[in-house]
Amino acid sequence: MSENREPGNDSETRAGRSRERRSVAVGAIAIASLIVVTTALAPMLVSARPANQIPVESVSVDDEPQDPTSDAWDTVPAVDIPLASAPSGVPNASDTTTETVSVQSARSDERFYLRLSWSDETADSNATDPRAFVDAIAVQVPKNTSARPPIAMGNTENPVNLWYWSADGETEELLAGGPGTTTEFEQAAVNTSASHDNGRWTVVMSRDIESDATNRTSLAVDRDVDVAFAVWNGSNMERSGQKSVSEWYHFPLGSGPQGPPYEAILWTIAGLAITGVALVTIHAVRNTRGETR
Amino acid sequence: MTAQDADAGDETVDIAEGIDHQVAMVMDLNKCIGCQTCTVACKSLWTEGGGRDYMYWNNVETKPGKGYPRDWEESGGGWKSDEHGERQPGQIPDQEDYGEAWEFNHEEIMYDGSDQPLRPDGDPEWGPNWDEDQGAGEYPNSYYFYLPRICNHCTHPSCVEACPRKAIYKREEDGIVLIDQERCRGYRYCVEGCPYKKVYYNATQKTSEKCIFCYPRIEGEGPEGETFAPACAEDCPPQLRLVGFLDDEEGPIHKLVEEYEVALPLHPEYRTQPNVYYIPPFAPPQHSEDGETVDVDRIPRTYLEELFGEGVHDALDTIERERDKVDRGGSSELLDMLTDTNPARKYRLEVFD
Ligand code: SF4
Ligand code: SF4
Repeated sequence: MSENREPGNDSETRAGRSRERRSVAVGAIAIASLIVVTTALAPMLVSARPANQIPVESVSVDDEPQDPTSDAWDTVPAVDIPLASAPSGVPNASDTTTETVSVQSARSDERFYLRLSWSDETADSNATDPRAFVDAIAVQVPKNTSARPPIAMGNTENPVNLWYWSADGETEELLAGGPGTTTEFEQAAVNTSASHDNGRWTVVMSRDIESDATNRTSLAVDRDVDVAFAVWNGSNMERSGQKSVSEWYHFPLGSGPQGPPYEAILWTIAGLAITGVALVTIHAVRNTRGETR
Repeated sequence: MTAQDADAGDETVDIAEGIDHQVAMVMDLNKCIGCQTCTVACKSLWTEGGGRDYMYWNNVETKPGKGYPRDWEESGGGWKSDEHGERQPGQIPDQEDYGEAWEFNHEEIMYDGSDQPLRPDGDPEWGPNWDEDQGAGEYPNSYYFYLPRICNHCTHPSCVEACPRKAIYKREEDGIVLIDQERCRGYRYCVEGCPYKKVYYNATQKTSEKCIFCYPRIEGEGPEGETFAPACAEDCPPQLRLVGFLDDEEGPIHKLVEEYEVALPLHPEYRTQPNVYYIPPFAPPQHSEDGETVDVDRIPRTYLEELFGEGVHDALDTIERERDKVDRGGSSELLDMLTDTNPARKYRLEVFD
């Protein structure tokens, strides 16, 4: 980009031209490397949400987000959340099978939706045999979203809400203040719908964003809301503390329905950085030439 | 040993911490005729329908035999040591091991004039008492006896310890082990944790259920406000069960268990310290080929030891000695207790007030 067409004597001009060509080449290499670096970085930048964040997109109820197979979910980014056996005193606590749950989240004007999907070859949806246990998933949010409770189902000072779906079709909303303390809300405010296809469960849970019920988490807040997940595989006799659990994640409910514009900020920073590097490089090339002149 | 001897070594009864009294039952196996009246009494009171059909809180099984649920003695549970710190892992039995609640062809036979024999629909391959009266040994020395079983309301109940929700507990006033149906979430750790397999999962209610020692009866919760012994005891034709508190030193249970030591817990090696105690069974001695009585135990002592622990030898010897005494015209407090027919003395219901 540094075309210098200043006339001079022949030799000078020739010499100047060759120097020009060199500087052009240097500039081109600088730009090429920038492009390469940017290309390499771009995907990282895209996925570079703050750690453990689950973006919350907007949906319209008309698109039926309660349906696990609805197109409404096609455009909502999924976060693959790793799971590990929960530390627990129950027998076989470390014998769990589910390794990842894929989580999507969206909100309409009134309701908050979660679409949870995980691999499980067998749909264990009834426990009519004494040895049979059902598949299940639970979502945990602090009752009081301004403080992060202990991940193992909170404690008495800082209890958690649990949204519990089990494959026998039951949905429960529970309050817990530590392991073994769950108590059921009289009336569950969480709706669930589920499908099992190609060895995967997909469950949509939804709840009103607002809540003024005692002990029920309100999602009408202007901050990050912590969330954690647990999955039970019935055919592995998983129940109670024998479960696969996540770390704390969070929904960025801080600034409006889109969440904070982290991606835009990151792209702006990246763009500025690229421009900055380019300008510095050009300047340096020019200076070098000026010196040798 | 006499009651006086035992008193000399005076020790207080070992009941669970934090418990005021401990309910107990003594069953004299020499009197059980295997009629299952106790089973039916219990079933019609507590376990008919509602997901409970396969359950027998009271069952009577033939020993030697696989029992109910099948091979329960091999299903684990209980404690690893007498410190009661670490539990022995256990298993939940399969539905087939309990047996299904069969449907019968009553309809066809009673109303449709079928001349088929009465039989269950389907083709069951196992069920409670499938091996009834089978026993062991060779003719003419075969043997068996009946073993009625309920929850033992143990002093160290591994079922209680197994529950991560503390839904199953030993109640303070009398040590009866109960499941809080509100707290239970059907995890079934108690089912696998009980070495006697006396907790049952109700797939309809999605909770576990068990023998409640007929607590509403002993509390006088019935229409007349009268107290009754548990139905399995009251309805037993030969009246072989004694009911009371283990720590009621005036009652026969305390004497039989703690003083004479002739009433023994089943499988003490599970270390839950059961509070149902058995008077071990006697049988006629073995016969030779030509029908002569020979001086060999028909029920091998080793087998009884497997069931009731080492104490069985002394227990049988004590009873035998007391019998001989009576045979010689003497009197025996022990045999008087074992043959007492007075309900007021057999069921010490006043202690429950
Ligand atoms: S017999 Fe089993 S269920 Fe009953 S108290 Fe003992 S351990 Fe618990
Ligand atoms: S009712 Fe009595 S005799 Fe009949 S089976 Fe039960 S314990 Fe035995």
